[in-house]
Amino acid sequence: MLAYLDPGSGSMIVQAVVAGAAGVAVVGKVGWKRLTSPLRKGKAAATDTEEEQGAADD
Amino acid sequence: MGAQLDPGSFRDPSSAVFLTGDRVLRGIGPAALDDWQALTRAPFFSPAVARGDIVATEQLPDAPPELAGPWAGVLEHERVPFLSYPYEWTFSMLRDAALLHLDLLIASLDAGMTMKDGYAYNLQFRGSRPVFIDIPSFARGSAGPWPGYRQFCETMLFPLLLVAHRGASFQGLLRGRLDGISPTEMRALLGPGGIVKKGALKHVFLHAAAEGRFNRDGARSLTKDLQGAGFTAELTKATARSLRKLVDQLRWKQSDSAWSAYRQTCSYSDADREAKDRFVAEAVDFAPARLVWDLGCNDGAYAEMAARSADTVVAVDFDPVVVDLFYRRLRAADNRKILPLVMNFADPSPGLGWQNRERPAFTDRGKPDLMLALALIHHLVITAHLPMAGVLDWFAARGGRLVIEFVEPDDPMARQMLASKPADRHEDYRRDVFEKLVGERFEVINQVALPSGHRTLYHLQPRAAGG
Repeated sequence: MLAYLDPGSGSMIVQAVVAGAAGVAVVGKVGWKRLTSPLRKGKAAATDTEEEQGAADD
Repeated sequence: MGAQLDPGSFRDPSSAVFLTGDRVLRGIGPAALDDWQALTRAPFFSPAVARGDIVATEQLPDAPPELAGPWAGVLEHERVPFLSYPYEWTFSMLRDAALLHLDLLIASLDAGMTMKDGYAYNLQFRGSRPVFIDIPSFARGSAGPWPGYRQFCETMLFPLLLVAHRGASFQGLLRGRLDGISPTEMRALLGPGGIVKKGALKHVFLHAAAEGRFNRDGARSLTKDLQGAGFTAELTKATARSLRKLVDQLRWKQSDSAWSAYRQTCSYSDADREAKDRFVAEAVDFAPARLVWDLGCNDGAYAEMAARSADTVVAVDFDPVVVDLFYRRLRAADNRKILPLVMNFADPSPGLGWQNRERPAFTDRGKPDLMLALALIHHLVITAHLPMAGVLDWFAARGGRLVIEFVEPDDPMARQMLASKPADRHEDYRRDVFEKLVGERFEVINQVALPSGHRTLYHLQPRAAGG
């Protein structure tokens, strides 16, 4: 993503909802994955490589 | 003469706009160059330029020597005759600009591209037509959410919702905060009852709730996650179409009532009106004018007269309903010469943004060759309490010719205004005083007293400095 602009996480999620059921499904997928991540860093980090990305956002 | 960096162009490190003479040049970096080349190949681009929806742009074969810095490429943009900003636009103007933005977004997505932002300041007006000017906003790659969605809400959608749902106005808010109205603020403005209004549930209430909750996440990784989970261009298109449908449905009740009540003021039995028309027509034809300002344009009759022989007419009035009405008529006729704006002469748009120069003040956007100040002075002096000498100084400083109408204190309209003031408050509001002040600052090209005896028109040329 090339933007100088910070799109804001919240705005992206709302946008997906605006798009309709398909968007909600996409958010659901991502949400599920992430739900097992930042709040439970220790547990998930060992099992999922994508959590490294999330953990890097400090 | 070196090219000057446009004071509004500093946020995007891969592109910078330079102004040199009459030309508008843009230096772009390597990634922006690739995006530009993709844009020129996109099927929607050339027709959009031909229609006037996107500003005409060409790549220059060589970078002109006066352009500072190494650039991968240099573009030249067609110059917009007179800059204006959303805090000067009417409801219908902002709405038409928003619709254009969304249409371009949908067309980009169809072509496998996207737009990097959703900022109202990426659009300008040429006459009554909005035009998109921020070429580097178009970028390759259409997957993933639209990065401009929040900015579009803050600078375009929310101001429109404020008018449509609350009947309030947005110009003051946007002038006060260039970034626009945040989702949280919009939620507060709509109030709890607003949740049932069109577009409010998702774009305002959900948005405000999400704004607080999620922003601590890294947005970039979320973008990747969403793309990976199937956020395709089709989804973004669905969002854009949903927004478009919403904006298309928004209405300003006050403007609609005025529109249906409007009747063209017909040909005049009034001798005053005839004499005034003749005088203004002569002044307009006196010399060619690149730029004309009509201050206090009202229904636009004289702006339209000026447009017959001027390149660009900027028609300003204080009343947003009146200006919106004029805009809708101009838009229906596809007029590209007359730009209607809402502005208070006693409080004209100042320089705003970074260094107070990012968005130039109204008086810094171009020297008018001719100004019309018809049926204006009594509003300024009597109602707004501006000093007559100061008003004339302001006009003289613009440098162009002036057509000004002095409304006698015994004119019915002036009398009404004076009636609500203490008797001695405007003792100096007299024609002899006016003419003396005029003589100190201007040469009189022509003057005529209208038949009714209540009004006098003057065609003036400012005296050379020191005169």
